[in-house]
Amino acid sequence: MAKRADAAGCAVPRIELLVIQPTPFCNIECRYCYLPERNSKAVVAPETLVNLFSQVFASGWLHDCVSIVWHAGEPMVLPVAFYRDAFRMIDRTKPGGLTVTHSFQTNGTLIDEAWCDFFAEERVNVGVSIDGPKRLHDRNRLTRSGRGTFDKTIRGIRLLRRREIPFHVISVLSVASMAVPSEMFDFYAEEGIERVCFNVEESEGDHVSQSFADGEVDAAYYRFLSEFWRLSSAMPGKIKFIREIEHALQQVIRPKDAPFNNQLVEPFAITSMDWAGNISTFSPELLGLKNAQYGDFLLGNINRDALVEMPQRLNFVRMTKDIQAGVAMCRERCEYFSVCGGGEPVNKLAENGSFVSTETTYCRVTKMRATDLVLNALERVPPSSSGRTEPSLPLGMPAHARDQPARSG
Amino acid sequence: MWLQKKYARILSEILPVGVVGASLLLGSTVPSAANEHPTSSQPFAADKDSVAQRLAAIREAVSATTDPTKKAAESGDGDLHLAWGNWWNNWGWGRPWGGWGWPNWNNWRNWNNWPNWWHNW
Repeated sequence: MAKRADAAGCAVPRIELLVIQPTPFCNIECRYCYLPERNSKAVVAPETLVNLFSQVFASGWLHDCVSIVWHAGEPMVLPVAFYRDAFRMIDRTKPGGLTVTHSFQTNGTLIDEAWCDFFAEERVNVGVSIDGPKRLHDRNRLTRSGRGTFDKTIRGIRLLRRREIPFHVISVLSVASMAVPSEMFDFYAEEGIERVCFNVEESEGDHVSQSFADGEVDAAYYRFLSEFWRLSSAMPGKIKFIREIEHALQQVIRPKDAPFNNQLVEPFAITSMDWAGNISTFSPELLGLKNAQYGDFLLGNINRDALVEMPQRLNFVRMTKDIQAGVAMCRERCEYFSVCGGGEPVNKLAENGSFVSTETTYCRVTKMRATDLVLNALERVPPSSSGRTEPSLPLGMPAHARDQPARSG
Repeated sequence: MWLQKKYARILSEILPVGVVGASLLLGSTVPSAANEHPTSSQPFAADKDSVAQRLAAIREAVSATTDPTKKAAESGDGDLHLAWGNWWNNWGWGRPWGGWGWPNWNNWRNWNNWPNWWHNW
């Protein structure tokens, strides 16, 4: 985070991402879900949203853009009208010159024509959670009565495609899906899913991941990702974006002085609010967690408290001190610090029992193995015959991929 | 220094094809046989140099090539300079939010730089 300083010389936070829980309720019951209140049908009050945005916009903590993610429950269980009203309120109250973007992360089961109209009109970034083909997806993503949700989710995805609504998918990888990269690739290709993100099922909150319990998870993930990348390169045009590869490339191949920050360890860079108006920061998952050492991770309530005074709260000061101590340990000890920036606080807490700690399985999987994959791929780039001629491109590479001018040989 | 030179050579091979092309090109070097991949008991990054050293050398090589004064003096290659500049711009270095160039609404900002939250959804 690029920090400014206030009159007292204290760093001024910069909010880059607002995570809002419109409702904790979810219409499905995934085996690996850790959200504690997913059966609650509570809904954020319009006044709470007004209080949040009036305080955020007046805080001086914004730069020129802010992203809003509606999540931490299934956002589409609320009616479209709820979001139309919320978006108009935000438009009315936002400062001139501020760019606001909205994103939904959804299980996709409720996508219909009306939602597509809304997504298109409001240019909402849509992420759909689908774990691969039916036999893999339906192992974990179930209704409350225990039936698979694949058919409804894929129907939603097909409608997005038919309506030409841009979307990406996020797939939670299990031991079973990591063993079949080719089957996963074929599924996305056949469904016309071009932008994919992978998360490995994790241990967080009350959920204990079988994948993370497996000591071979990072080796399995490395094999999965490398084979998926190879397949994508061998059949260009099918998968246009693999988040994990693009991120790793971006972090590895950059100028030495390029700006880089880890939002997850920067105070208020990610600011999260639950349906009741409770505010938290750092890892958004902290919003709903309790811990013997810290109690909870709430900094106040937007309906009662001043946002700009929350950095003075004792629990914030303590949490920040511990998180920064953990980041310092990472900087000192970890070879991968420059691609990571100090890890993910909630995983440190869940896996190591303390923010003041370093490596986690989450680090190994999401940062280290993807970085290794890119580093190893770089080593295999063969020198061209002249040393400065056009590189060999994968067979069938489309012309549009050549988005740079060719050099003279 | 030799590491930086090595990576300067490697990067000169991949950068002219752009961000998308580089991803495809690098992906095409990945061995297909599963048994060629390391197991968890072996170092994943196989090179004898440390990961931190390799990352630092890559960034030095990138900076050396993107520095217009160094470029003019050392390479005299205007086309390569342009290729680097385009690469850099395509990925948005120099902008805190990064520039993904993802063909999505609103240029897809940074929230996808946050894989953890979405894990169980």
